[in-house]
Amino acid sequence: MTAQRQASSASQTPHISPAELSYLYTSLALQGSPIRPDGRSATQFRPLTAETDILPGTNGSARVGFADGTQAIVGVKAEVEKTVVSADALKLPQQAQDSYAGNEDGDGNQGSRAGHGSWVQMSIEIPGFRDDDALPVFLSEMMREPLVESVSNGRAGNGEMTGGLKGRLVINRRWHWRLYIDVLLLSQPQSYPLPLLSLTTHLALLSTKLPKLKSQGEEDPFFDDDWNSAEYLYPRSTSKAQVSLFSSQQVRPPVTLLVISVGENVIFDPNREEIAVADTVLAISITRDSDSDSLKLLSIRTIDPPSRLTQPGVPNSENVTTLGSTATAEEAVILNTSTGEEEVPGVWRPRRGGVKRSIVARMIKLVLEKGGVGEEVLEGLEGVQVG
Amino acid sequence: MKSLRRDFSSDPQTANVTSKVFVRSTKSGKVQKIVRELYLRQDIPCSSKLCSTCPSVAPADANGNIAPFVLSEHPAGTTAFPRGHYLVPDTNALLNGMDLFEHTGAFYDVIILQTVLEELKNQSLPLYNRLLALIKTDEKRFYLFFNEFRMETHVRRGPNESINDRNDRTVRAVAKWYTEHLRAAAKKGKKDKALPTIVVITDDKDSLRKAKEENVTALSLSDYVSGLEDSDRLLDMINESKEQRETKGARGELFYSEYYTMSKIMTGLRAGTLHQGVFNVSPYNYLEGSVNVAAFDKPLLILGRDNSNRAISGDVVVIEVLPKDQWKSPSTKIVDEEAVTKNDNPDAGDNEAVVTERERKALQEEVRQAHGKTTEGRPQPTAKVVGVTKRNWRQYVGHVDSGSTGSQASSGRRQQNVFVLPMDKRVPKIRVRTRQASELLGQRILVTIDAWDRDSRYPTGHFIRSLGELETKGAETEALLLEYDVQYKPFPKVVLDCLPAEGHDWRVPASKEDIGWKGRRDLRDLLICSIDPPGCQDIDDALHARPLPNGNFEVGVHIADVSHFVKPNNAMDLEASIRGTTVYLVDKRIDMLPHLLGTDLCSLKPYVERYAFSVLWEMTPNAEVVSTDFTKSVIRSREAFSYEQAQMRIDDPSKKDELTESMRTLLRFSKILRQKRMDAGALNLASPEVRIETDNDEVGDPLTDVKTKAMLATNSLVEEFMLHANITVAAKIYSTFSQTAMLRRHATPPPQNFEELINQLSKKRDMRLDVSSSRALADSLDRCVDSQNPFFNTLVRILATRCMTSAEYFCAGAHAESEFRHYGLASPIYTHFTSPIRRYADLLVHRQLASAIGYEGEDGRAVVEGVMTRNRLEDICRNINHRHRNAQHAGRASIEYYVGQALKARGEKLSGDGVDGGIEEDGYVMRVFENGVVVFVPRFGIEGVVRLEDFVLKNDSSLRSVEERRELVVRRESEFDNEEYTLQVSNKGHSDQGMSVELFQRVKVNVSSVKEESGRGAGKRRVRVLILGTEN
Repeated sequence: MTAQRQASSASQTPHISPAELSYLYTSLALQGSPIRPDGRSATQFRPLTAETDILPGTNGSARVGFADGTQAIVGVKAEVEKTVVSADALKLPQQAQDSYAGNEDGDGNQGSRAGHGSWVQMSIEIPGFRDDDALPVFLSEMMREPLVESVSNGRAGNGEMTGGLKGRLVINRRWHWRLYIDVLLLSQPQSYPLPLLSLTTHLALLSTKLPKLKSQGEEDPFFDDDWNSAEYLYPRSTSKAQVSLFSSQQVRPPVTLLVISVGENVIFDPNREEIAVADTVLAISITRDSDSDSLKLLSIRTIDPPSRLTQPGVPNSENVTTLGSTATAEEAVILNTSTGEEEVPGVWRPRRGGVKRSIVARMIKLVLEKGGVGEEVLEGLEGVQVG
Repeated sequence: MKSLRRDFSSDPQTANVTSKVFVRSTKSGKVQKIVRELYLRQDIPCSSKLCSTCPSVAPADANGNIAPFVLSEHPAGTTAFPRGHYLVPDTNALLNGMDLFEHTGAFYDVIILQTVLEELKNQSLPLYNRLLALIKTDEKRFYLFFNEFRMETHVRRGPNESINDRNDRTVRAVAKWYTEHLRAAAKKGKKDKALPTIVVITDDKDSLRKAKEENVTALSLSDYVSGLEDSDRLLDMINESKEQRETKGARGELFYSEYYTMSKIMTGLRAGTLHQGVFNVSPYNYLEGSVNVAAFDKPLLILGRDNSNRAISGDVVVIEVLPKDQWKSPSTKIVDEEAVTKNDNPDAGDNEAVVTERERKALQEEVRQAHGKTTEGRPQPTAKVVGVTKRNWRQYVGHVDSGSTGSQASSGRRQQNVFVLPMDKRVPKIRVRTRQASELLGQRILVTIDAWDRDSRYPTGHFIRSLGELETKGAETEALLLEYDVQYKPFPKVVLDCLPAEGHDWRVPASKEDIGWKGRRDLRDLLICSIDPPGCQDIDDALHARPLPNGNFEVGVHIADVSHFVKPNNAMDLEASIRGTTVYLVDKRIDMLPHLLGTDLCSLKPYVERYAFSVLWEMTPNAEVVSTDFTKSVIRSREAFSYEQAQMRIDDPSKKDELTESMRTLLRFSKILRQKRMDAGALNLASPEVRIETDNDEVGDPLTDVKTKAMLATNSLVEEFMLHANITVAAKIYSTFSQTAMLRRHATPPPQNFEELINQLSKKRDMRLDVSSSRALADSLDRCVDSQNPFFNTLVRILATRCMTSAEYFCAGAHAESEFRHYGLASPIYTHFTSPIRRYADLLVHRQLASAIGYEGEDGRAVVEGVMTRNRLEDICRNINHRHRNAQHAGRASIEYYVGQALKARGEKLSGDGVDGGIEEDGYVMRVFENGVVVFVPRFGIEGVVRLEDFVLKNDSSLRSVEERRELVVRRESEFDNEEYTLQVSNKGHSDQGMSVELFQRVKVNVSSVKEESGRGAGKRRVRVLILGTEN
């Protein structure tokens, strides 16, 4: 029961009184520039440190830590697996034989390159949660989905990533890689862990290498035993200079950002208290579009804001202890523009109902626009030395 | 956002810890990244006796001893390094010059790096094992330096550095460290010695250049060897393949198709489109090979050089079945490499092609054959070699083809290509570069194959050493032993140390209280005797029989108790398990156990007390076994008979003593046992055996030494009881060790093996061979008699034996009980128990039986000595099966050689004018080919190929010399009937004066020993068989 609630809401509900909630809400909803409890600007992220390749036994790994002490480690392991032959591909042995004869048909068949979403498996471990609790399951699905669904348009430079990550995992018609992404949150979740986990996963995947394939075509896979010659899962441009100049040329895994709206304000990287009063919580997954320098929206998920489950504050007018006092008269009911509900200022009222389209649109715009938050985040990530 | 890189430089421990990362592919197809942590240390010694610091820091074992230092204080110097030198070879140097490193004339004080050893292991397992053996011997002073674990010499791989570059750098780093270390250590020790130079041996040009920059002394292998004495001979021993490739460069033409990639082969094997098996070459046709694969009943044919694609007989190859339109019937021609490729030039000329015109012609005939025929010549599936899984190249004995040395042979020191013709006909000639061609002519030499590149018709190899003059006894015997991989080196000291200290004075303890008597029964009062071939020294077995009061008889088989002297897992036991069997050559015996045991302490010699392992039966007068008893015992043999002596004694009615009576009883019982066995369907098989008695003096006809084996009743007496003992013991050990009993089986041959023979018999003699069971086969073999040809039955038996599989040792757990059957003996279970002196399997069976009967032995450990893990036992079985087969082949080859020599000696003796008249004998046609027949001559037990020119027709009977006959070949023509197995030979245009031979026919032959005088293969002696005429 508790787990259920925790999962659907963005975080454990902090034990904050209705009055505090109301105060928070009011400061965050301030027109023009919200005042955040930690003094950040609306789009400012908490400082974080990151390193990659910390686990020698994995194919790729990363650690990211927030200043508040929350840390996550992600390890990526890859395994070769036989592709289950589907009914329409039953003629495979015949085709396989054809390719012995010498006419390596290569990547001619796009269908065989498609890959399958289930080849990426993600498991998230959060202290205090069982692995089948709703929160880890929900989180992993939320991160896995954009990962496997992001398909780059395949510009000449990065043909290897045709078909996105799924396509990259195809070895040949009969074999593929299976990725196990193990996410480990090292501390109690101080805030909703999605952004932390997403950033860590992003870095881990970037540093992931797969052994170099030596066999060709439809042969059973056979790999180079030299780890130094292993190839990145997300291939790099060959020359370093190019990377710094056109960093966008490199295909990168998507990142998922957590965005909330409070009143008319859109706030990034919310902490626990901020989420507690949010009107809307959105998880927005983006990636760089390899064709242009712009960003691409992959998915949006709404997360049930925990504010719905908070206890409402009681206006003086309704409070038996203050009933009839003079203060009651001063409380004027005003209309909250973002929710369309009538509220008494200074009295906390759990959020109900949906979010306005215009606010959602603004949130997306802030993420995707040139020089926007999304770009800032990705540039930050690109600054992390990988490999 | 801040990127964080941890900085390890401040951590003092980081220098000690590093890791090794690699990718491992498991059998199940998993691919894993493996990370191994390496903890570096500083106490790994340099092992130089010059060093004063290392002895104090080197790690000690539990007893506080440090490993003795290997590298000499006064290493040998050369002109270039007068102060002496230590060698540090890299992997390629070892790959190319292992024979050099094994050479006793040079290459002492060598530092082998762990890095190099591991790299070598990955590249060539045989070389790795040879190097390990070198490191183990003390005299060559090879030191294995664990450089990867020593902090100063561990080299971390740089970014973008290839493994090879890194390893080369490692070698240089070690050389540098050694130089500095020795300088420092020697200074500290205040020794004013000249320090040896550390010389890196590498063939890598880049590494040589870098070594120069880094001030490390480095030389290429050939440069180093050139500075040694006797460099010409040593230079010949460098692996050829490398040089060859460089000189040839990209010189276009590739004769053979490329092998498939490893992954393609694996995929194919798993998918069943490719097959794997051992490549065998037909002894009659070097262009025809066959591969037995699990997927098909019959072997697949590999025809021609193109398809055999550089495979050499014995290699494990991967093959692909060819399309049906390329299927052919097996060859009906005798194709001899020497004859066909007579004019090849060893200096790979431009006219070189894989398939020469002559070869193509030879093959063409076959295709025609395949198309024209019906049932008989029905095309068989053919295949093509597409990959080689395992090269089974070994060292080959051969001789230089004098035709290939060319005119400049006399000009001495120049390096030139020659062909070496291996003794084994199935191995193609080997191209060898040598500087001593003229000296090697007429010598038996040992060569090895280094490579067979796509652009070379023949494999290239290099010379290892000379065994001596052709046809000298020493050289030919050693050649045989090498060819059949017989371990003939004298027993090392560690083995001899395992012998009883008393030596020949060892006696059975007089007091029965002695520990040696524990668990032994005193059978000294029994009238035991042994019956063996004349002159037998290693007497394994002895027998006795005596009547019991109840009217039954006690029959005993007593076997030498070798397991008492050979304790498991000591050096002697390991040596014996490697040797596997004693090898009997005509004039030499290569023992499995040291002389002292085999011919004295274990041997059941007469008149002395010996330990034995006895099997005692109580038998009714009808030879029905009432009870069986096994015991360790002490016996005293009353007499050692030869077969003839025993026979005479039994047949002599005047002898009425107890011993003779007991032998008569044994003989009677053996006849009953034999009859029982025959009734059960045991086969009476024949092998073409002759015996050589070498004790004759020089005068007289040398050929009288060659005797066909006579079967006396006493032979079969011993044989029957040994079989009976073996069967009894087999059942006993199997009941105790159901998984690990050491047994012997003879698999039921698949009926298709007999197809050809059945067909031949029904065609030529209208006889039926029933192969449905061993009983049926035995009966139908008995019916195969030709009243006019008494040898015919034996001939059929010889041929039938060749259709069968060979018997093998196995471990009980390896097969289902129904598969234990010994087909030839018609026994459901069988093992070898009765010859522990000369067979290792018997020794194991002794231990198992001792354990099974609860015999404790002197130290009470005998019970556990018989227990072994199945894996180990299977390894042993594999080895002794192989050794057993080789020993048989070596024995036969030795007899064959001796027969040839006897013929030669006779020829020289009888004819003053040097022309060998030969000797006339009866022969029987065993196989008929299109251009010749194979004739078996029972008198000498030899098979000879008779080519068309060797049929003596009416008008050319005066021509006898090889050259004269060879000229005949152009005039000869033949008509071959594949269905009827007949061959009609005549001179062109005179078909009415020809001669016709057919299968199984008796022919008059002339056997002589001839030497090829000119042309290819010159200097080679062979036994020539001429067909003089036919009978009937």
